Amino acid sequence: MLGFLIGEALRDLHRAGRVAVAAILLTTLSLAALGGFWLVSTNVGQAAEQWRDRVRITVFLKQEPSAAETDELVDRVQAMPGVAAVRYVSKSEALGTLKEVLGKDASVAEQLPTNPLPASLEVMLNEQGATPEGARGLITRLSELPETDEVSGGMDWVDRLARGRRLLDVIGLGIGAVLAVAAILTVTTATTLVLHLRRQELEIMRLVGAPELVVRLPLLLQGMLQGLLGAVMAIWLLIAVYALAGPHLEPLVNQTLGLERLTFLKPHTVVGLMLAGTMLGGFGGWLARGRTAP
Amino acid sequence: MIELHRVWKVFSVGPVKVPALSDISFRVAKGECVTLHGASGAGKTTLLRLLYREELPTEGDIEVLGCDVPALRVRDVAALRRSIGVVFQDAKLLPGRTVYENVAFVLRVLGTPRREITPRVFDALRRVGLSARAQAYPAQLSQGEAQRAALARAIARKPLLLLADEPTGSLDESMAGEVIDIIKDIWARGTTVLFATHQARLAAALHQRTLHLLSGRLVKDEG
Repeated sequence: MLGFLIGEALRDLHRAGRVAVAAILLTTLSLAALGGFWLVSTNVGQAAEQWRDRVRITVFLKQEPSAAETDELVDRVQAMPGVAAVRYVSKSEALGTLKEVLGKDASVAEQLPTNPLPASLEVMLNEQGATPEGARGLITRLSELPETDEVSGGMDWVDRLARGRRLLDVIGLGIGAVLAVAAILTVTTATTLVLHLRRQELEIMRLVGAPELVVRLPLLLQGMLQGLLGAVMAIWLLIAVYALAGPHLEPLVNQTLGLERLTFLKPHTVVGLMLAGTMLGGFGGWLARGRTAP
Repeated sequence: MIELHRVWKVFSVGPVKVPALSDISFRVAKGECVTLHGASGAGKTTLLRLLYREELPTEGDIEVLGCDVPALRVRDVAALRRSIGVVFQDAKLLPGRTVYENVAFVLRVLGTPRREITPRVFDALRRVGLSARAQAYPAQLSQGEAQRAALARAIARKPLLLLADEPTGSLDESMAGEVIDIIKDIWARGTTVLFATHQARLAAALHQRTLHLLSGRLVKDEG
């Protein structure tokens, strides 16, 4: 019986012709838009996570402490909440780093009468500190240290990146939702058209006492098949775009976001998109189903 | 098998009430073959539609195969119809399917096991003399063949009751005779038959009980 019902659904899909194709294409567009934003959002999210791990707060000291004072200061900072690790950077180490950065122009630094660079502490953040609120609290505490001259760094731009990601999610969901509604209405139209084409069959089915399930299930299956086909096409589209554009975008993404490689949607997200498409089509078929009542 | 008691069917056309059936009462026993005779508009089709619950009576009681027809719930209507075969003047074959597929279609939608379908379809086609036309499409059939295919579709389900609504209405004498012979055969095999026709000669050809309808009233019950 199930084979018969699926066969009828396929026959109906064929009968709906161009309207069914339109429904499948709209489902494809809707899910490709959703999946595309999801793809961008996933990579931006990864960049945000990566940068969150790399965030440092630098505490510039008023004067270079003695070795004993350094140890005591490092221990005090290490004990602060939100701190994962602390590294002391002496004046001479800072100058050495500057020379490395200057490269062939390092002689400029050597002509300075005194080392103008301050000693500093590089503070790495743990999970608690790597939030905008945690970082702000830590910066306040570090600023209040008597040895502190100035504190630089923070989470604000990482936070902006995370906010950007959330905005992408909302835009993706919005566009996906609008296209999804259009797809549902098109699936409904395609199914209603099939209902019209099948009216003689439906009449015969009712006349011989076919169970309502047998009358209506092919319509639901037809919608689900359209949705599933649309989802599969959307995934293929995303894979194609990713394969073609990915290699060209990776250097740009590497320079701007620091991501070494772009990542594609995870398998469970792909399965989720296919389920979403199937349900979306099923919903369209179910809406049309109401029109079959005798 | 069938029992009608003081059945009325009145259609409303705007404010105007048009009685299609007035105070109809009769019984048909199991295994009977009854002809329902009357001119066009006498109420034959309406009466048959009441029996398979395509219409509800305005008043009165209808019992078919032990079911109180007007009181049936939707799902019980389907169950009742599974025991009733109905054929119409226009055959109502599905144009996109072959004769074989038309007959098999109803068996499939009723959940008949796959291995039983082909033998039952060919048995039905053999009984109506259409085995050789199994792969023909409705457009390739004569009117008589189409009507026989419709009968095959009805009997393949092995119904307890066959309602035939003017199945010979558009056929010439020879083709009508073939259809009458098939209906006689169906009845002879134990199916109760209610055969509606406006042709008095065909009513007589069945040599069975005849109910005469005139303007929605049962005027004579003879035979």
